Amino acid sequence: MNHFKQDSGWGSSASILEAAEKTLASLQSAGFSVELRVPNLPLLAPDGEAKRLKKKAKEENPEYEWRGDSYIVLKDSASLLDVCRHLRDELGWEQLIDCTAMDPSAESGELLGCYQFLSLSLKARLSIEISISKESPEVQSVTSIYLTADWHEREASEMFGITYSGHPDPRNILLPDDWEGFPLRKDYEFPEEYHGVSCK
Amino acid sequence: MQVTGSERIVELDVRTQDVDINMGPQHPATHGVLRVLLRADGEILTGAQSHLGYLHRCAEKIGENVDWVQYLPYTDRYDYLSAMNNNLGYSLAVEKLLGQDAPERAQYLRIILVELNRIASHLVAVGTYGLDVGAFTPFFYALREREMLLEIFERICGARLTYTFIRPGGVMNDAPEGWFDQVAAFTEVFDQKWPDYWNLLVENKIFIERTANVGVLSEEDAIAWGATGPMLRGSGVDWDIRRDQPYLLYGDLDFDVIVGKGYRGSVGDCFDRNYVRMFEMVQSNRIVRQCLDRIREGEVQNEEVGMSFACPPGRSYVGIENPRGELGHWLVSDGGKIAQRCRVRAPSFVNLAVVEHMLPGCMLADAAAIIGSVDIVIGETDR
Repeated sequence: MNHFKQDSGWGSSASILEAAEKTLASLQSAGFSVELRVPNLPLLAPDGEAKRLKKKAKEENPEYEWRGDSYIVLKDSASLLDVCRHLRDELGWEQLIDCTAMDPSAESGELLGCYQFLSLSLKARLSIEISISKESPEVQSVTSIYLTADWHEREASEMFGITYSGHPDPRNILLPDDWEGFPLRKDYEFPEEYHGVSCK
Repeated sequence: MQVTGSERIVELDVRTQDVDINMGPQHPATHGVLRVLLRADGEILTGAQSHLGYLHRCAEKIGENVDWVQYLPYTDRYDYLSAMNNNLGYSLAVEKLLGQDAPERAQYLRIILVELNRIASHLVAVGTYGLDVGAFTPFFYALREREMLLEIFERICGARLTYTFIRPGGVMNDAPEGWFDQVAAFTEVFDQKWPDYWNLLVENKIFIERTANVGVLSEEDAIAWGATGPMLRGSGVDWDIRRDQPYLLYGDLDFDVIVGKGYRGSVGDCFDRNYVRMFEMVQSNRIVRQCLDRIREGEVQNEEVGMSFACPPGRSYVGIENPRGELGHWLVSDGGKIAQRCRVRAPSFVNLAVVEHMLPGCMLADAAAIIGSVDIVIGETDR
């Protein structure tokens, strides 16, 4: 098998890790409570690993082994605004490329909020995650720092039921205004009908 | 209020009522089913609000319910004008989770196909933009060359619009006999025909009047609003993911990044955005030629990656340079055969967000020119 370009190109997990380490050090020295998660599987899989994992997935879930991008976990979600301001003004992360959330499972008591940053000057990417409790899903809106968060937060809000406090215009964006439930949550139940139209 | 001049008294408080105008959902200049609610004070716009979601097909929810490879056809449907690019973005994100790579021949085939697809997409963008500002003829010239491209795509994968050709681990099949000659012939024809669009449309005085100094997006605003692709480059930001964070083999290829410089007006106006698209087609053609020279015989599919597999747990974000900007796929796997989260960061969605803030203060007649210059595909904004 022809494996090449291991540390460049799309496999730039190495550059993501490098940027994350630098950012982590700066955030820690600024007094934020952050933690770095680094994958422990090799960037490029050795031959035969796909088959092994395929077999293993049937037996058990190898939770301790993972691959992909490293990311920073922000332990105190109340400091999100300050962290974003620090990232943009001090460290040169000019663009918020994506802002979304995910629901790990129906049983889990928390949602994860995820922020992807891009720095045009450093030519680097960064990913930050925060945890949001399902009981009171409220996060600060970062629209005051990154204007682009406007529509992203509206989307995450309607899909996951997260309230972004301080958002200038918290209407639904893709879903109708009277849609019930939060479709991207794992415990979402598909509606039987919508305004007399059968959904089944 | 009255202002007393030397000779006459001028009344400044003649008040008229603002008028709300519904543009869309079936307006041709919205390029799909987008509704923009405009508020106008006479001929000047005082507000704009986009209403989207008419084409929402729950792509992200579907991604959490089907296999890794089964999701691939759905990627064709977000930006149906550049389906090859969408296939590529998703495939790269899956490959990153798998830790697998595509063979060299497949990588060159991918570059050829996504660049040809970029030309096809920009041809529609430039052609329909002519329609938006009143030039009907260039659209047919653009579709003439696009037809050649669609035949090239049809020959290699059997489909003209939704290809599902680039897949995790490589591409579906090798090129049929004579296919590379057909591509080489296209690159020649395209170089001959490109001046037609330039002379017919871009250098046309009416076109320049309609687009220069219209819908100016400053560099700071473009960055703050997360604009990417021609929208960002049109505003004078020298950024192209293919050059600055190369994926596939783009790092080895020689091409220029086209940046808006205020060629006929100010930096970041509609003319600049269109200018960037025009010259990006030439650069894509250059890239295709280089790949045709370099491609060698070999495998086109990594055998480790089959049609049904489980990905190791982890997260992967891959952003690639689509014709409309950065298409990002953020995939989360819990080790299973199905994604735990399949997030699509659609460039049109983000680029459209800034339009609401560009329109106020412009003339009503320029609304179509500004929305058209963003080059949105509604299938992608709504996913």
